[in-house]
Amino acid sequence: MLQISSDEIKKQRKLVITWGVTFLIAFPLLIVLGLLMRLNQGEVFDLGMDTFYVLMTLHGLGMAGVLYSMAFAALWYLISTRYAKLNLATGYVVYFLILLGVAGLTIATLIGKFGAGWYLLYPLPFKGTFWPGWATGLSIISLLILGVAWLVGIIHLIYALAKEFGGFTNLLGWQYLRKKEVDRELPPIVMITTVSLVPGVIAFLAGAVFLIMFLMQHLEPSLAFDPLLLKNLIFFFGHTLVNITLYCCIGWVYALLPEYTGRPWKTDKIVVYSWNATFFFILFAYFHHLYMDFVQPVGFQYAGQIASYMSAIPATAITMFGVIAQLYHSKVKWGVIPLAFLFGTAGWAIGGFSAVVDSTIAANKVLHNTLWVPAHFHTYMLGGVVLFILGFLFYLSHTKEEQEKDKSAKIGLWVFVIAVHSFIAFFYRGGLRSIPRRYADYKGIPIEKTHETGVVLAKYATIFIWLILIALLIMYMSIIIRLMKKKATPQPVSAKNG
Amino acid sequence: MVYLITLLTIQSFAAIISFIAGAVVVAVVLFLISTSSKEEEKTVAKKKVYKLRGRYFFVLSLSIIVVLLITLRLLPYERFQGEPDETVTVVAMQWMWKMDKGTTDKSPAEFMGANEITLPSNKKIRFVVTSSDVNHSFGIYNSDGVLVTQTQAMPQYNNTLEHVFPEKGEYHILCMEYCGVPHGLMVGKIHIN
Repeated sequence: MLQISSDEIKKQRKLVITWGVTFLIAFPLLIVLGLLMRLNQGEVFDLGMDTFYVLMTLHGLGMAGVLYSMAFAALWYLISTRYAKLNLATGYVVYFLILLGVAGLTIATLIGKFGAGWYLLYPLPFKGTFWPGWATGLSIISLLILGVAWLVGIIHLIYALAKEFGGFTNLLGWQYLRKKEVDRELPPIVMITTVSLVPGVIAFLAGAVFLIMFLMQHLEPSLAFDPLLLKNLIFFFGHTLVNITLYCCIGWVYALLPEYTGRPWKTDKIVVYSWNATFFFILFAYFHHLYMDFVQPVGFQYAGQIASYMSAIPATAITMFGVIAQLYHSKVKWGVIPLAFLFGTAGWAIGGFSAVVDSTIAANKVLHNTLWVPAHFHTYMLGGVVLFILGFLFYLSHTKEEQEKDKSAKIGLWVFVIAVHSFIAFFYRGGLRSIPRRYADYKGIPIEKTHETGVVLAKYATIFIWLILIALLIMYMSIIIRLMKKKATPQPVSAKNG
Repeated sequence: MVYLITLLTIQSFAAIISFIAGAVVVAVVLFLISTSSKEEEKTVAKKKVYKLRGRYFFVLSLSIIVVLLITLRLLPYERFQGEPDETVTVVAMQWMWKMDKGTTDKSPAEFMGANEITLPSNKKIRFVVTSSDVNHSFGIYNSDGVLVTQTQAMPQYNNTLEHVFPEKGEYHILCMEYCGVPHGLMVGKIHIN
């Protein structure tokens, strides 16, 4: 039986707190970039178009990278303190490599003015650019460093789990399909970690392939690659990264929510079928990013819509109903942690639904690259992933009793949720009014109605960004004060969860 | 009901169903919070929820099949029966549109065209869209500011978009794919008479 010493737990806790503090610093800074972008679109001031795209690039890359890294770090902590021995030095190597990658991207954007957007859509980084060549090179290398860090982290984690649970297929829960009684229960978080991170390995390898191609092009400008192939690789990488970030968070919801409801949440056949199906939906849903590329084989387009639609079945019928089964008539005390998990699940549901709408090819024709797109991904990232992460950070800093009694944290959370959904409502409205996304401003749009609507929506949305920052500050004070006082101790490991 | 649906644009249909879905989620959240003070034996509560889940699973699966069957027949890739009334070559470049009637043998870089074009209403128009540099997207907006259709303009590939303009008037082309700093200034015009 696995023995993890209290000293090991203490060291892993130090690592995850380092991660948490880094997240708490980076996250609001990246929000400020978003605030500046919306103020520019609202014509409150004029940043200049080039600066706007620099900020857009850093905001997009930064948010996707920071949220995924924090989600991974949270899983790492829970796995290393409960289910498998993870090498602490590897954890720090991953952390410092990610810092290095982020530092490189920050220099490439803020100093080098690299502004190709998070997706560096080929061949944009090499044609008609306003930034120097070194900024492109540094961005590519920084992204490669991030990819290597994430790959090292995932491979170590999956290897350690496979060793502990007797093989890779056991991590996917296949033993539940073979036998009536399993020798050892598989905690859902272990299966979800596997289902989320293995597609991550494939996606990061795809990312590495396109980044190496980019590096070759950067060194030898006469080279030319197939833009459709590159588009597939880029969106497979980007979509999967964002998608698995959310699924990583669901892993700890399965593990931690039962500690507050007192109801076990175990792996069974249905949960296994559900998450194994999700594994495939993660891999094929990215095709919905290429619907407007009419030359893409039509079978892929069908696959994109079908996978996107089908992913709603395990997500809602199994996981969301699982959350309902946890909470319904449970007499749970609504501390900040179960509230954050419930609100996060709601954000996932709403964002997921609007994503499914956009994944309908017939609707995508008029929603693609309008503000509907940032609307839906902000709903499940800001209204989902961030709430799950905040819930986890409260778990690190607060005891069960503290999180129930902490009124200021709860006020901060409610204000945050209301502000987030209000802010996002302006994106949805913009999408429905056909306002295009990734416009530095709307001054060049000759349709007066579209221009005016875009400006008004951007300007008023900023009120709620300020509110989001205030709500974060309230919650931060609660988290940081408790972490600094070192009063908080992690909740005891629940026997029910393994 | 069918008549009502045909009156709705895709955008308003998306708004209505998304609003309903959002309202259902909010209702479930408020219900869970307001009723959680009641305590029920966990197996009884679980049984109730899972009974509902069974029904939900059935309704959701059926809905997905029906919606897939309907929507996968409404693809923008469909071609007109027979030949189009007009073919237009469109070449996107940083940061303008080049359009001309007919097809071309010239390379996208050599192709000459104008940023504006006049086309007939209620005719089958085929746009053959490509790019001479980076990815762009050919988004057609009506005079009311509603995006009516789009396709990507990608170097090395031709995307064929077919459309009938039901009304006379001015349509604008906006670029829908980030293509460099002046992306928001890449505007073209289609006069429909």
